[in-house]
Amino acid sequence: MSKLLTVRDLVVEVPARNIKILDGINFSLEAGQTLGLVGESGCGKSVTCYAVANMLPRGIVRSGGSVTFEPGGPSTRKPAVPKIAMIFQDPTSSLNPVHTIGYYLESALYRHQGLKGSDARMEAMRLLERVGIDRARSRLRAYPHQFSGGMNQRVMIAHALAAKPQLLIADEPTTALDVTMQAQILHLLEELKAETGMSLMIVSHDLGVIARLADRAAVMYCGKIVETASVAELLERPSHPYARALIDCMLSIDPDDLAPPVPIPGSVPLLDSLPEGCHFHPRCLRASGECSARFPAPANIGFAHEVSCYHPVAA
Amino acid sequence: MSTPLLQASGLTKAFRHKTGLFARPTTQLAVNSIGFELAVRERIGVVGESGSGKSTLGRLLLGLTEPTQGDVWFEGINHKQRRARDWKEFRVRTSLVQQNPLSALNPQMTIGQQVAEGLLVHRIAGRSGAYEHVAAMLERVGLSSAMMTRYPHQMSGGQRQRVVIARALVLDPRLVVFDEAVSALDVSVQAQVVALLRSLWQELDLAYVFITHDLRIVRHLVDRIAVMYLGRVVETGDIRSVYEWPRHPYTRALLASVPTMDSTVRNIEPPIKGELDASMVSQGCSFRSRCPFATDRCAVETPELRPIPAHGASQHAACHRAEEFPRSIVPQIGMVTERGTASREEMAL
Repeated sequence: MSKLLTVRDLVVEVPARNIKILDGINFSLEAGQTLGLVGESGCGKSVTCYAVANMLPRGIVRSGGSVTFEPGGPSTRKPAVPKIAMIFQDPTSSLNPVHTIGYYLESALYRHQGLKGSDARMEAMRLLERVGIDRARSRLRAYPHQFSGGMNQRVMIAHALAAKPQLLIADEPTTALDVTMQAQILHLLEELKAETGMSLMIVSHDLGVIARLADRAAVMYCGKIVETASVAELLERPSHPYARALIDCMLSIDPDDLAPPVPIPGSVPLLDSLPEGCHFHPRCLRASGECSARFPAPANIGFAHEVSCYHPVAA
Repeated sequence: MSTPLLQASGLTKAFRHKTGLFARPTTQLAVNSIGFELAVRERIGVVGESGSGKSTLGRLLLGLTEPTQGDVWFEGINHKQRRARDWKEFRVRTSLVQQNPLSALNPQMTIGQQVAEGLLVHRIAGRSGAYEHVAAMLERVGLSSAMMTRYPHQMSGGQRQRVVIARALVLDPRLVVFDEAVSALDVSVQAQVVALLRSLWQELDLAYVFITHDLRIVRHLVDRIAVMYLGRVVETGDIRSVYEWPRHPYTRALLASVPTMDSTVRNIEPPIKGELDASMVSQGCSFRSRCPFATDRCAVETPELRPIPAHGASQHAACHRAEEFPRSIVPQIGMVTERGTASREEMAL
């Protein structure tokens, strides 16, 4: 497989308040691969997505590191112009309420593929049908408020597909949806990935969603990646105490698993008052003196399994 | 048997709405003749997709919405017979915790003022007594009493939800209705709040009605569950037996939709497609449009909620074919579906 995206030492800051949101993020993504980002709210998962898509909001800047795309392989002379599309958590507020679904899709098709008139309409209908919206012809005249959250998320996905992206970034795509709709959207993303060969970056705080879709997963805490591994490895042998704790607080529906969830004590610190050393140490049961002195360097502990911890959980 | 804490019978709520400026208003049954009983200190979960009527049911039980038909009794008194003073008394003994703690809290009042408000309104404590009450309650939900002087925007989502829980419990109610109170929180905060609600229930004389779409959360919080679809309860029973052997295809689909922590489970067809279809309510089983096991009978005859013999009196399901479903929620070879016998592909879960 060829590399699609390489992120090196990425630093993202809010200069006005002298806060580092991301502090030295490293990862790479191969063509057709899916990377899952997990962590609690406020750990920098979404900001990582925005930085990769070059969509950081005003006031937040990339102050160090690099984000490199290699869509045609490393030999491409021209600067790489990647095709990235993004979908968000709340589809209904991501859509413009004064435009019809048809207008929304057709304008994207014009922008990305130069399609106009009936060509654009036919393609918009095809996309809507592809994402599982029936009666596509009449639905093109509908407005977002006439659709449910699940249908609007399908429209967002159709809109993303109009760009024929090489990388689709999905930021909590199913968090606001019912569990039945979540199952449908996850299956749709699986199918589309297989059909188009695009790569996927998926953000979720639900490890079940990551387990279903991702090939590799990166666990984030306070703007740093503290562990990366293949999803199977991470779920079976989590090494960072934070990764272990996230898995332990997942609730199960197994009738035989009566153990109550084990909550992580405390909460994510604010970015302007990060603890010294490993940011997780105040909440960590394994922490010792060195944890509060210096951030642990990432160490390889298995095949493509890296962890930044002085006291990793034994397998 | 002693009087149940909360009881409802034939509870129905119809909403009229117009689809267009000159369109004839149509009537939709958000809650459709539901019977309900909750014992003292019992915990029940109400689950279903959005639009199934579970929030409306919660509001009807608390008398926040008038039912179109049917009655609700709390501690043996019918809502319809309550006068203003009885309602005030009822509000002391019941509480509601809603989904979004930020919008449930007043941004201009401190945490202490908001938690104390009920005590002062109902004259349960004077100003000085209220202070001690509030401090104790905040500590009970895992906040420091020093938080009293803070405003909601100065707290995290998890802390705000604890404040809302403290406010709901400060009057020492007998019944709390939670409407999606945990679903919007981060998984780590969810686990904290679930642990808190479990320990509060053990210490206090409380009954819970827990409304949620998240089947993982209720699993750890309630004794009994009611599954709603388009205003009706389609399955109910002891939570353990329902999760072990769900008898209604909708319950089975809901459970099968929950993502597992197993990364080898991939490329699975979703258990059910589409969304609630309100046009199905008039006749027959309202789930039939999405049910892979629907037969001609389902279009004609509305299935009643009936006991499933294998589970004694505890488990009830409203499905003509309830006895045919095996224990495992993974579809089985040989089940007759609408398109004939289920294909091997569908089986290969």
